[in-house]
Amino acid sequence: MSSDASLDGTASETPKQRSVRSGHSKLAAADRRFGLLLAIPATFIVLLLVGGPSLQTIVYSFEKVSFIGPTPFVGLDNYVRLLNSDEFKDSFRITTVYAAGFVLISTSLGLAFALLLNERFRGRGIARTLLIIPWAAPWLMVGIMWKWFIDADVGMFNGLLYQFGLIHDYVPFLANPSGALIVTIVAAAWRQASLSGLLFLAALQTIPPDLPEAATVDGASTLQRFRYVTLPWMRPVLMVVLVTNVIFGFLQFDVIYAMTQGGPGNSTTLLSILLYRQIFQFSNVGIGSAIAVVLGLVAFTVGLVFVKFLYRSESVYGRAVE
Amino acid sequence: MVMDERELAHVKAELDWSRRKFLKRAAALGVGAASLPLLAACSNNASTSAPTKAPASAAPTAAGPARTLEFQGWEFQPEDIKAHLAAWTKESGVPVNLSLIPNVGYGPATQTKLQGGATIDIFYNLTYNTGKFVEQGWAHDLKGFPGADDMLNDMFPQARARYTTPDGKIISAPYFNAVHTLMYNKSHLSKAGLQPPQSLQDVYDQSKKLKANGVKTPYVAYWIKDFCEEYLNVYLIGEGVKMWDDSGNPVFADDPKTKAVFEWWLAMFKDGLTTPTMLTDDPIKLATLMGTGEASFYVLHHYFLKIIRDLKDAPEKDNVDILYRIPSATGKTFQMGEVIQMGTKGEGRSVDDAWSLMKAYGWKNSAGQYSTFKSWAKAAQLGAPYPAFFADPEVIAAFGTNYDMPKLTDVFANGSDVQGGRSAAWYQTFQAKVGDRVHAMLLGQASPADTVAGLAADAKAAKGGI
Repeated sequence: MSSDASLDGTASETPKQRSVRSGHSKLAAADRRFGLLLAIPATFIVLLLVGGPSLQTIVYSFEKVSFIGPTPFVGLDNYVRLLNSDEFKDSFRITTVYAAGFVLISTSLGLAFALLLNERFRGRGIARTLLIIPWAAPWLMVGIMWKWFIDADVGMFNGLLYQFGLIHDYVPFLANPSGALIVTIVAAAWRQASLSGLLFLAALQTIPPDLPEAATVDGASTLQRFRYVTLPWMRPVLMVVLVTNVIFGFLQFDVIYAMTQGGPGNSTTLLSILLYRQIFQFSNVGIGSAIAVVLGLVAFTVGLVFVKFLYRSESVYGRAVE
Repeated sequence: MVMDERELAHVKAELDWSRRKFLKRAAALGVGAASLPLLAACSNNASTSAPTKAPASAAPTAAGPARTLEFQGWEFQPEDIKAHLAAWTKESGVPVNLSLIPNVGYGPATQTKLQGGATIDIFYNLTYNTGKFVEQGWAHDLKGFPGADDMLNDMFPQARARYTTPDGKIISAPYFNAVHTLMYNKSHLSKAGLQPPQSLQDVYDQSKKLKANGVKTPYVAYWIKDFCEEYLNVYLIGEGVKMWDDSGNPVFADDPKTKAVFEWWLAMFKDGLTTPTMLTDDPIKLATLMGTGEASFYVLHHYFLKIIRDLKDAPEKDNVDILYRIPSATGKTFQMGEVIQMGTKGEGRSVDDAWSLMKAYGWKNSAGQYSTFKSWAKAAQLGAPYPAFFADPEVIAAFGTNYDMPKLTDVFANGSDVQGGRSAAWYQTFQAKVGDRVHAMLLGQASPADTVAGLAADAKAAKGGI
């Protein structure tokens, strides 16, 4: 078959070719329609169960909500009050620090787990099974467990540090604001690293063995193989992991509630804790809803930034990453 | 049919485009969907259904077919709860459906369910929530219900304020009661040549001496944010400070003793006489410190003595005793207690039935026995607001050798106050602020004087709905 190049550089088609292409286009369109039809029930359920209440929350954020009287529309008043509130600003700063630490630790620790468990060693099967255990524990249980684990008087972590001669006296990690924030980040990130590790491990196992072998033959060091072979291959999974971790980082509640209830002082009062207090302790549903909207938007935006940053159109070793 | 290269490339392009588009959209949707549950969770708190305010006072009179009652509690002695409900069902013929919610998050879960329109005929609640629940239309005013006044009259006189409001509503029935007391290690004191402390200054001085003698954290108390308000009551009642006037306005800031209490509170923490993690510690851990001898004084509910003495292999558990007063100017303490309330969804006979069950559960059963309270006493040595309860042989036996019953009874009867303002509709807002203020002071972010002034302002703002 031959075809002539047109002036604009595109090849001209014969009627038969156009007919074939048209047929395939119709087929593809039909497939897409069928796919959309299949997605309708799930979409409907999601909209009903998640979208509806979310919309309602957004509406509440513009109202002074009362359960027993009129609920007047107050425009941006709830948001203005938030922006003028030192408590909100502090909480926003703490939440940002918390989320950043959470994403960094859970992602890097998960990657380290995955790289380790991708190597051959005795007991690898058991180690891989153990990786799922933190993820199987509810967030609240993780918080309770870590609270005892790092306790300044009876905690096992302090015991270990002491036994190894790393400390001379037990350290009260939850006693000061900075320590409490760091410990709660680590506790939550420990659980999330389990999921990150599983996802990374799954991605590592899809790398064709000849790629790292070829890189080795070409003289690439371990670090170079990781930088130029492993990491590019895992970019799609890295994106999923990062987005998931960003969301969990910003929306974290249970671990903090179990370990510190937002204290000591306000040192671990994330926006999620502030939201909880506004709605359930102060009955300020409008303000609480505004915090929820801000928190949701922040998590959404940061997640999108990661998607935008990592979701580039390129091909790695003939494998489309997009 | 065989495709040529261009056709194949086109189809691949189509598929690639679809895949790219799909993945992009899926990724965006994924981010969005994952952040939606937060909004949804928030929204769940408030239903679109128009709430109805509870009638100001509605004595049940209507009859009709029985329906299954919905009973909700937290997870303490679930088998006992089932047994009590089954016993009542056996007598009344009315089935009861029990829902148990974990203690952590109980309040928010209950609020969410009630505001969402769920029918809960009887539910456990925290006292500082009760006024708010009535005001929001989630809990029934029980004034006028047959026997409600008799139930109140059966209580220690000062305990009645917990279940009523100044304007005459009866908003709850008892679930259990306790008094804050000082538990102390008599061996530690004896070795240091000390007698049990009688004032806050004694507590400070003795703690200093005990620390010098090697006791790691002489004084422990459950000072997490949520409990600071209970301790505020303990310490101010002990010093004889009046917290609220008859109209519910805060007057504690006008009394100079309040500032002195806060200065003592700060000194205990700042001078290292408590454990440094006390702002986040668990009460069981603190009990463990008493059992191991790492602490000498523990202020919390009286039943923690049993918890300490039940610790396995705790070397000092038998040396821990209870002082039937709070070291303070008056020696009086704070009597706390949680309650049961009636939901507002019931109509006709179900209201009658719910009230009948409430009386059996929160007062006496048909045989005239404080049956639920006795079971809590047997399980954990919890108290009740009824004088006759403490004279019951079964209760005395349940409290065993841990307590001097006449002395404990006297604390409930004469040595404690319930701080009636806690059942006000606005109180929970103030309660939440106390933890913020006290923690800020203990962490050096505010002076005692500023803390007192701030709390008074918080109380006024909460009362005024600001």
